[in-house]
Amino acid sequence: MAEGRDPLRFFRIEARELVDQISAGVLDLDQGGGPEPVARLLRVAHTLKGAARVVKQKEIADHAHAFEEVLIPYRGGDVPPSADAMRELLRLNDEITARVVELEDPPKPPVGTGPDEPAPAPAPAEVVVNPRAATADLDELLDAIGETTARMAPLRTGCATVERLHRSAEVLADQLRVGRSTTPATARAAAGRLAGELGSAGRRFTDAVDQIQRELDEVRARAEGLRLVPAGSMFTAMRRAVRDAADAEGKRVRFEARGAGVRMGAHLLGPVSGAFLHLVRNAVVHGIEPEPLRLAAGKPAEGTVTVEVERRGRHAVFRCLDDGRGFDMGALRDTARDRGLLPSGAGPPDDAGLLDLVLRGGISTSPSVTEVAGRAIGMDAVREVATRLRGEVKVRSTPGAGASVELAIPLVLLSMTGLNVAAGGMMVTLPLDVVCGCVRLSAEDAATAAVTGRIVYDGSAAPFLPLAEALYAGTAAPESVGIGAAVVVKGESGLFALGVDRLAGTSALVARPLPELARASPAVGSVTVDADGNPRLVLDPDGLAAEVAGGRLSEARPQATAVLTPLPILVVDDSLTTRMLERSILESAGYEVDLAASAEDALEMARTRRYGLFLTDIDMPGIDGFTFVERTRADPRLAGIPAILVSSRASAADRDRGRDAGAGAYVEKGEFDQERLLGHIERLVVRS
Amino acid sequence: MTVAGRVTRLREEFDRSFAEPARVLECGTVELLAVSAGDRPYALRLAEASGVHPDRPVTPLPTSVRGLLGVAGFAGAVVPVYDLAALLGHPVPRRPRWLLLAQGTPPLALAFHELDRHLRVPFADVVDGFDGGGQDGCLHEMVRLPDGHRPIVDVPAVRELVHRLAGHRPVPEEVR
Repeated sequence: MAEGRDPLRFFRIEARELVDQISAGVLDLDQGGGPEPVARLLRVAHTLKGAARVVKQKEIADHAHAFEEVLIPYRGGDVPPSADAMRELLRLNDEITARVVELEDPPKPPVGTGPDEPAPAPAPAEVVVNPRAATADLDELLDAIGETTARMAPLRTGCATVERLHRSAEVLADQLRVGRSTTPATARAAAGRLAGELGSAGRRFTDAVDQIQRELDEVRARAEGLRLVPAGSMFTAMRRAVRDAADAEGKRVRFEARGAGVRMGAHLLGPVSGAFLHLVRNAVVHGIEPEPLRLAAGKPAEGTVTVEVERRGRHAVFRCLDDGRGFDMGALRDTARDRGLLPSGAGPPDDAGLLDLVLRGGISTSPSVTEVAGRAIGMDAVREVATRLRGEVKVRSTPGAGASVELAIPLVLLSMTGLNVAAGGMMVTLPLDVVCGCVRLSAEDAATAAVTGRIVYDGSAAPFLPLAEALYAGTAAPESVGIGAAVVVKGESGLFALGVDRLAGTSALVARPLPELARASPAVGSVTVDADGNPRLVLDPDGLAAEVAGGRLSEARPQATAVLTPLPILVVDDSLTTRMLERSILESAGYEVDLAASAEDALEMARTRRYGLFLTDIDMPGIDGFTFVERTRADPRLAGIPAILVSSRASAADRDRGRDAGAGAYVEKGEFDQERLLGHIERLVVRS
Repeated sequence: MTVAGRVTRLREEFDRSFAEPARVLECGTVELLAVSAGDRPYALRLAEASGVHPDRPVTPLPTSVRGLLGVAGFAGAVVPVYDLAALLGHPVPRRPRWLLLAQGTPPLALAFHELDRHLRVPFADVVDGFDGGGQDGCLHEMVRLPDGHRPIVDVPAVRELVHRLAGHRPVPEEVR
């Protein structure tokens, strides 16, 4: 902009959002009426009209007004909008879209879809993926930043404390130097006090820094996520393309989309959406049969075109399915023969061979190229995108039942929630969406599973592989504590289980492919960078499934399970909820857990069984947590068992008291953090 | 010596420095890093490296590629790390301590065990035609040093070897 104060600056943003909502709303309405979508559309159109008037965009305001006028008779939701009304709404929607696009990018000529094909309606050839991050994402990022900033407060207080302690230290030093101190005992007491205060200030600093570190992690993950866009952003244009094509063909077609939430780089979604616009149009024009034929074939009158997006290991998979007639194999064979594409002398190609020819271009699956699409063009577009993005295309067709075209492209960046697990001394991440469950394993269970290669889950036996074996990179794992839990994973060919040392919580992350020169076993899908800037491996469920099936190297190495197992943990808390919560956390992390509802019970239990750690509340009826810890410290048989205090008391004095009593760690209920608690336990627990 | 005497001496030294021919540091010398990998001494050309880092954590990678230790993080980038000793055919079980980032693309780090010292030697001390026998052509030259000769590791040749081992095919345009 030539001028800093561009009057349309905010209107452009708002109008773009409103137009997106109108486009989606019209299509919603098209697939099912009712008062609600109408009211929503009216609201949005009205907002746009008002905003356009304010910035003197008369044309947009007029179109929005006309849009309202068309919609008003259907406000009651009794009758769905007539076909004419829908057409008019779509036309106005296009007009408004075009005006808004002009505002954003004035000199741009209208976008065509290619020289071979007359452009249908003003649907863009490639979905322009909104580079502006979704408002919700930005809000979350801002929240996370706000949270981090809030965590600075204890540091500031801490700075003041350090300054005060510094002065006290100087005073004390002065007194000692001049020798005016009353008695050495007073000086010693002052020094002791100072040391105590410094100690607790230091702990508060450590806590604050830990918290800020965690918050910053969150901020980083969210900011990285902003580089990615949800796949759902390309669905509106596809619905529109299906709608337009169906309208032109006089067919009834429903568009279904799955996987809107899968996020990936805009550079992938753009080209893919362009190619898929061709595919969905093809599906409507050539796949879906005219209504009488469908009815005669026993199919619903309304055809369905589905676009699915999913992440499969290190690939994003886009699939276009229809329930139409499938490819016409006979016609394909004829065309191939006519064009001399079949090798002379060879027999007639099978269906797979023919589909391969379709994929390589040159044969249209439609006998006539219509205005909307020829299948060859669609296939060319998909093939071109596949080549550009180094992907793969698969075509399937079942005569009479439908066809599917699948494009799998390797991902550069992918946002996901990961389950962090420790195995063989390494921390690795599993995509959470493939994890079906976690099972705690006792040492005996783990040994049995490792020997038999099976584990019982949900009533059936699932293949089992110690993850440390799949990750074995040639060096022994010094920190391995042995298998304590099994993670049950959903693979392509069923469930399987991975033996891990412990679970370490979930985290949001952005995964990227392994670098080019780092060819790894198929078990590793991608890599992410942790808070310390070090790479962490993200596992690929399908690759792992293959390892499990192959029973890789099961005899080549000594069992990774023959190592120290942690002794059971005794949880002491008068609250049932807390006891159960802590038990589930600890058991998921692979620990064996006993529960005591009071410190008295706990002392009794501790004398009859060997525990590896006490996890105790402070405020309990009868003996409180501090006293419990003190008594166990005083008992020579129990003094060696570490204790962790868990309490809603947050003051430094309580922390100090806990430390003085002999607790190995202090966890605040208010900021209960599984990963941190498990970290303390991992560090402290006694192993047999 | 008096202060005046010292001033005179300093002035003479200063003036004399202008009378001497200009020394060109780069000309005729080569900068090397004396390192050891798998207990054997080597030299690396500094010009072929874009960085040298000690004690950087390397995430081990399950792999069948010879010498591939794992991946390490460098300013947010994930870089494959190869064990130089293993690439040169004499791996030892100890994890190397130092990482040298090789010039060129794609990113590559070579790990070696010890960094002995930095050297600047005249070209004349670099002898061509070293027979590296079975080192995949990574050792062509050697540098003569007072404490013995060191083979010079040809980093671009090592990179080529890594590309071969990793089955890397260069692509005209990176899809990013």
